[in-house]
Amino acid sequence: MLRQFQVDDLQVSFNGEKVLNHLSFEVFPGEMLAIIGPNGAGKSTLLKVILGMIHPQGGAVRMESDKRKAVIGYVPQSRTIDEETPIQAKDFVSLGLPAKIVPWLSQKERVTVKKAMMMTESLHLAKKPIGRLSGGERQRVFVAQAMVRHPDVLLLDESTANLDPNAQEQMMQLVQRLCKNQGITVLFICHDLHMVKEYSDRVLFMSRRHYETGSTDEVLSGKALEWLYHSTDDEKPKKTGLFREQRDRVTDHLF
Amino acid sequence: MFQYDFMQYAFIAGTLVAIMCGAIGVFVVARSLSFVAHTFSHIGFAGAAFAVYVGIEPLGGLLLFTIASALGIGQMGVKMFRRDASISVILSLFLGLGILFLSLSNKQANFTASILFGSVVGINIQDVWQIVGLTIVVILVLAVGYRWLKFDSFDQVGAESAGLPIRWISVGFLLLMSISVSVAVQIVGALLVFALMTVPAAAARCFTQSIFGMILVSSILAVLGVWFGLVMSYYTNAPVSFFITSFEALAYFIGIVYQRLVNRYRVAQLN
Repeated sequence: MLRQFQVDDLQVSFNGEKVLNHLSFEVFPGEMLAIIGPNGAGKSTLLKVILGMIHPQGGAVRMESDKRKAVIGYVPQSRTIDEETPIQAKDFVSLGLPAKIVPWLSQKERVTVKKAMMMTESLHLAKKPIGRLSGGERQRVFVAQAMVRHPDVLLLDESTANLDPNAQEQMMQLVQRLCKNQGITVLFICHDLHMVKEYSDRVLFMSRRHYETGSTDEVLSGKALEWLYHSTDDEKPKKTGLFREQRDRVTDHLF
Repeated sequence: MFQYDFMQYAFIAGTLVAIMCGAIGVFVVARSLSFVAHTFSHIGFAGAAFAVYVGIEPLGGLLLFTIASALGIGQMGVKMFRRDASISVILSLFLGLGILFLSLSNKQANFTASILFGSVVGINIQDVWQIVGLTIVVILVLAVGYRWLKFDSFDQVGAESAGLPIRWISVGFLLLMSISVSVAVQIVGALLVFALMTVPAAAARCFTQSIFGMILVSSILAVLGVWFGLVMSYYTNAPVSFFITSFEALAYFIGIVYQRLVNRYRVAQLN
């Protein structure tokens, strides 16, 4: 389980343009943190920095876990899966297992795959080709693939964006169950404020000008949202102190 | 037929090359590198022609040129080489270079024919040992790196986010491909290498739904194709490559029909 998750003074630029500009915030172990903000604010970039896919020009992401190294699972909005690809869903899930030199799966690894699919309610899809699954079914299989590594943190990058409302609800309920039952810390990017209100413990708001964390109710109050989306403050982002941190509430369920 | 040494060598070398191409082909198709494989074979042709020009073994030239190209492509990024324009430029450049090296050396018609169209019945025991050695190396590396390779080939986003060194996997796979192409060129020729490397793998996707199953079916189809080609060529005197490619194409079309029938059956079952 995660002990500490701190993002310190992160700076990322692409072609001279600042995408993340001195971003700092803390994630509390076992919480569901929604990341909201307009397009181009650097939300996906932030997740890629956390994953280690992008190296920041400055700052750092600090994670401490019970394990030797914190394990991160990632579910993107979409993956380029060829519809003709005949791989069964269980094969696809097993791709996420930690790499070993032995080419075949051990009995223990097969059990891990089965458990991950049970956890994500996708076991009935095990023998279906991944290319033939619906959007919602695929996303559950993608979460199962992330779960075979027993992650401390799960990052969801608009993973419900292409789903119908019913499938969106099912997906978020599943993620919430994983968070509460398995103690996984979840960061999810979402544009649907209804989903954010329903499923997040706290919210990180990102724009090119501001970064702000606060409780879901505070950030989603009409006045605060309007101020955040339409503020025309100067270039340098800063914590405005509009919201206060509420650590106690989000970690209640862990104790 | 087997009383002749050349036929024994042809069967041993052909079977090994088929297993190697069948196995590696599954990843070539999954990574959309079919035409990069085709380009490698033309680069190999230039390499073989260069080897003849400077007076070394053709396999040495083939390996030199294809391995150097694999490293170059790996350095610049595979995505660029998937573009039609890039492939056309490189393919024609190396074909031109091959012709230049041939014109500079004395060997022309026979050598050109054997490199472009293959000469499986023309190989000797020394070639067989070279092929055995290289095939074992390729299959061992493929087995050791199997899990990383299949993750990166079938789900690149997942592999990258899981922290796999995808750039090194890509370069490693290109190196394996370059060795496979160099070996296979001697059997089926530069023009048809990619047939043995992609058609059995494409057909295998129609018959099975697991990655290991695809490797198995693809290798079996490739081996059967090579055996069929050798037997038919022995009795009819027609080129081996023609029979190999005909067999593989037939397997592919049967696979398409089989897949459609299975899909129809599944839909009928659901209704």
